[in-house]
Amino acid sequence: MNEFSNTLKVTASALRAQAMRLRHTAENISNADTPGYRRKTVPFESMTGSGDGVDLVKTGRVRLDGGRLPRIHDPAHPMADANGHYQGSNVNLMLEIADAREAQRSYEANLKMFDQARQMSASLMDLLRK
Amino acid sequence: MFTKLNVFATAHAMATHAGHRHAVIARNMAHADTPGYKAQDVKTFGTLVSESSDGSLFRKTRSTHMHGQDGLDWKSAEFTADAPADPNGNSVSIEEQMLNAVDAKRQHDQAMAIYKSALTVLRTGLGRG
Repeated sequence: MNEFSNTLKVTASALRAQAMRLRHTAENISNADTPGYRRKTVPFESMTGSGDGVDLVKTGRVRLDGGRLPRIHDPAHPMADANGHYQGSNVNLMLEIADAREAQRSYEANLKMFDQARQMSASLMDLLRK
Repeated sequence: MFTKLNVFATAHAMATHAGHRHAVIARNMAHADTPGYKAQDVKTFGTLVSESSDGSLFRKTRSTHMHGQDGLDWKSAEFTADAPADPNGNSVSIEEQMLNAVDAKRQHDQAMAIYKSALTVLRTGLGRG
């Protein structure tokens, strides 16, 4: 029974981490056209020493992508400098979509594991029934 | 037959093993995107049974009970699976873990079925079938 609760605990932590990743991807996509916006990424880390030997997944501090911001030529833009350029965001939509899809797949896989563990403990409980 | 109830002991050991393997697989799955994580696995139930010195399932699989320690025996049965790693050092393949999880679930179901059927035999013996 303890194993099942460990399974549920670690799976829940992974679901939380993937949801956080998806949230940052959504932030990136919605800010794709914000001038000067830098792409956000979250690293996944293993949280060891949480007591009973279960190393949960957690997301680390948010990092900003250090890539170059593109210079966009638009003299009519309110933020344009003397040469008529302003800095765009370094969000690559293709990358974000791929990242979101990967997060979704991992989320689904973890959800499947959660459901399986639940079924296994339910069948254990069924033994008590006649 | 009614003094040792070997069937129940074996079914219990099998279900415990399946539960533990499932937990290990869930951990792998949860760390599918953690850089540097190495996929773990547990030796099969058959291997563990044949490896136990006197072939007694009781000692091998329920030592946790008898010595009052938790998880020590299963820990030693874990090993790092040999799989090619991603560029970030992660060696978890979700597809493979999925198959392993189904395997563990089936083993658990099998153990449950054996336990249930043995229970029915006992009940019939008591005349309450």
